[in-house]
Amino acid sequence: MTTPRELELFQGTLDVLVLRALSWGPMHGYAVARFIRTGSDGSFSIVDGALYTSLHRIEGRGWVESEWGTSDKGKRAKFYRLTAAGRRALRTETATWNDYVAAVARVMSAVPEAG
Amino acid sequence: MQFPLGTPRWRRYLRFWRANVRADIDDEIRFHFDARIEELVSQGVPAEDARRRAAEEFGDVESVREQLRAIDDRLAKRRGHAEWLDGIRQDVAFAARSLRGSPGVATAIVLTLALGLGVNTAVFSLLDAIFLRPPAGVVAPNQVRRLWTEITSTSGKQFRPGFAFPQYRAVSDALDGLAETAIAGQPGRVKLGTGGTSMHAMLSRVSSEYFPLLGARAALGRFFTADEDRLGAGARVAVVSDAFWKSALGGETSALGRTIVLGGERYTVVGVAAPEFTGVELDATDVWLPIATTAGYGSGPWWQSMRVNGFTILLRPAPHVRDETIDVRATAALRRPGMSLIRSDSLAVTRVGSIIRARGPGRREQEVQIATRLGGVAAIVLLIACANVVNLLLARAVRRQREIAVRLALGISRARLLRLLMAESTLLALAAGAAALVSAYWGGGALRKILLPDVHWARSPLDWRVLAVGVTATLLAGVVAGLIPALQSSSITVTDALKTGARDIHARRSRLRSTLVMAQAALSVMLLVGAVLFVQSLKNIRDLDLGFDTTRLLFAHVEFDSKDAVRDSLMPARLTELADRLRAGPGIEETALTAMRPIEGFSWEDYFPDADTSANKKPLGMFWAVSPDYFAVAGTRLIAGQAFPRAHGAAIPPSVLVNDAMARALWPGQNPIGRCVRFAKPDARCNAVIGVVETARYDKLIEDPTPQFYLPLENMPFRYSGAHEIAIRANDADVAAVIRETRGMLRNAFPTGEPVVTSMSAALEPQYRPWRLGATLFSLFGVLALVVAAIGIYSTVSYDVNQRTPEFGIRVALGARFSDVVTHVLSGGLRTVGVGVAFGVAGAIAAGRLVASLLYGIAPGNPVVIGAVAAGLLLVAAIAALGPAWRAARVDPMSALRLE
Repeated sequence: MTTPRELELFQGTLDVLVLRALSWGPMHGYAVARFIRTGSDGSFSIVDGALYTSLHRIEGRGWVESEWGTSDKGKRAKFYRLTAAGRRALRTETATWNDYVAAVARVMSAVPEAG
Repeated sequence: MQFPLGTPRWRRYLRFWRANVRADIDDEIRFHFDARIEELVSQGVPAEDARRRAAEEFGDVESVREQLRAIDDRLAKRRGHAEWLDGIRQDVAFAARSLRGSPGVATAIVLTLALGLGVNTAVFSLLDAIFLRPPAGVVAPNQVRRLWTEITSTSGKQFRPGFAFPQYRAVSDALDGLAETAIAGQPGRVKLGTGGTSMHAMLSRVSSEYFPLLGARAALGRFFTADEDRLGAGARVAVVSDAFWKSALGGETSALGRTIVLGGERYTVVGVAAPEFTGVELDATDVWLPIATTAGYGSGPWWQSMRVNGFTILLRPAPHVRDETIDVRATAALRRPGMSLIRSDSLAVTRVGSIIRARGPGRREQEVQIATRLGGVAAIVLLIACANVVNLLLARAVRRQREIAVRLALGISRARLLRLLMAESTLLALAAGAAALVSAYWGGGALRKILLPDVHWARSPLDWRVLAVGVTATLLAGVVAGLIPALQSSSITVTDALKTGARDIHARRSRLRSTLVMAQAALSVMLLVGAVLFVQSLKNIRDLDLGFDTTRLLFAHVEFDSKDAVRDSLMPARLTELADRLRAGPGIEETALTAMRPIEGFSWEDYFPDADTSANKKPLGMFWAVSPDYFAVAGTRLIAGQAFPRAHGAAIPPSVLVNDAMARALWPGQNPIGRCVRFAKPDARCNAVIGVVETARYDKLIEDPTPQFYLPLENMPFRYSGAHEIAIRANDADVAAVIRETRGMLRNAFPTGEPVVTSMSAALEPQYRPWRLGATLFSLFGVLALVVAAIGIYSTVSYDVNQRTPEFGIRVALGARFSDVVTHVLSGGLRTVGVGVAFGVAGAIAAGRLVASLLYGIAPGNPVVIGAVAAGLLLVAAIAALGPAWRAARVDPMSALRLE
């Protein structure tokens, strides 16, 4: 979906978003894509393919586990579930992200000191 | 809808074997597209647009697919390793845990297997060194040949490895262009250094072609040249082995050019051979000298003599030259006049053989023959050990039936269970294998010492080849011993096993155990028959009348580093004087003088007897020059006539004694006393035969009765060196003390020499060794097998009795007498063993011809021996079964029936 305000996403940021999506419970890749698309109101120009590389990469890191199951429409789909390590990663990444956002916000709202 | 660039559907079936990374990725991407398009279509987007948009949103499908594959492949690999390791770890942990639960059984199994494996590894180590491995440091050793002579006589084919130098020349010329040739002497021990040193070196004299023919490398310096190896002008140069260079020369480069003294002669070291090269014999050579430095004996140059004939001829045929061609040419060369060692060789042919001497074609030495039989014996011991382990594991499996049934009920797969049980036996085998390798190291060393004590071994008994064989045998034994019990255990029916509990009788399993007991009994019978045969052979050999009385018979002489004509000419007189002094001393009954002692060597001379030699073939003129008392001292009995008279300074008439064999050969059916024997020339003086003595051994314990003369030292019919040895008959007192005193007296008399005093029994002992060895090793293994078989019989019968306790209870309740039950159980056990014994007897008779050549005075199929062993084994079986039978008869009917 192309919107007037498109934002580029860094790889690490995408991983955090995927983890966040999965923190609501196991879901398949398409559901993760839909979650991010809906959650951002279409603000990010996510390339869906990148989402899958992110999923597989963090699976390799042990943050998520995958299993084949059946989607709500009765089709065979690969489901991802957050592991304990994934939950920990999400916590630290979220904290880092919040610090980052706060720091950027502070800078953006600051005025030069006199003198 | 059809997804572009997908994987064909059939590929998904690969998942049956392993996770299929590719198909999974394709499926995942396809699902994504299907779902996205479906959603868009449901929002009212036309199908064609929806498809395009989904593709746009996804990005480059191919590149994503590639990335995912790369990630997942890595992941799958890592997981595979982890799972595999985890599985192994689990199996081993399980096996260790369950074995800790029954340490007795585990120890018994490990010990049994360690024994079987240790014996096999040690024997392999020996056989590998003797038979399988060509000499190291030789280029393309399979192309190098040894030459043998094949002589067909009335007593069968004989193979001789030795040649004289003229023969080598003839062969070498005949094979010009067909093969490279070299000649080498046998490695022999010589004294190293000067004075009273006890250092020795293995020395081998070789022609200058030897090293190039073998392709040996010099690590330092050079080998000797053809110029240094000119006949009659051999340079005093030496090439030494790496081991000798390191041990005796300090391993320094400066060793080149150093002088070493070997057997009293000085040689300059010009080269050091590559570390792996130790010659082509089992005996490792320390020092190689040019063959031209050979010291001959007799008259004329040694290289023209047929009497110096212990050389090995080595050949390396040119490519495409067949062995037959070599044989034909070499045979033709050796059939030329004057080229045969002895007259009967005129029909000899040459035969080429492997560079590995033990491979023949000659008949092998008795020790080597025993070594090969040991291979079979070791395999039998391992088989018996494996059978026992199977038996122990089966018994254990019966006790664990419930546990296994529970595991199966809880859903463990049979394959997994099999793996767990196999892990157990493999773990046991590995523990046994480790113990076996340790024992094989010293066992292999001990075996070498026992079997071939004089060999100067080049390598340690344990190396990677032996290690590889040991590990393979270990794993094989583990799998073989573990597989049957594991298969049986994993095939039990869950419901039955849980219902009837641990006392379930499986007819099939008990049949298997009976078969194992039969096999053990059969193999034990074979080994025991072998043991008895070897023991009886040894006894027969010990009882042989050798023609002299070896107990308390000593010989003494003095050895010198260098020659000294004056001293040597005075030697007989001084020895005579010493012999008189010794006779007066304590502990000695009688002394005599002789030129040469039996077994050590002999002299011969052409002779012309007063006999019809056209009808009777004239034997070789082998003789011993002795003083009159020699026969009394040696214990050689006089059969007819009289011995040499004591001269007491006066001249004795020219006379000769013959042995029984000589008398029969020259004057069959006639009286030999008074006949004439002339030596050297047909018209020489007459030496009258004054007596006949019994035939004594001249070389070996077992030899054909060999015609011999005895000549008087005081009146030799031809020029002869004279007395060289003092023969001593000690009385019942301490023989060791007599040896000590004699040695002391000789040392005082000859301060520059080295006294050598040995007892005849010690000199003969090496000849008894192979017999003793066969008896010892077979007895050891036989008793071992018997013990193991007895345990097997006991455990099987005992197990059977336990299983049938209720049945015996009923029998006793119904009035069976004590003796009825005992007889019943015993006969059941003995039936099984009896079948095994029958097979064993058949096997012993069939295998008999394999050991026939190693026996003496007893046939391998001897019915008394076989009958005794069979009876003995049945007796042992009866004793082993008696305990359980007793228990069965003592069953209390009430408590036994209550168990039901």
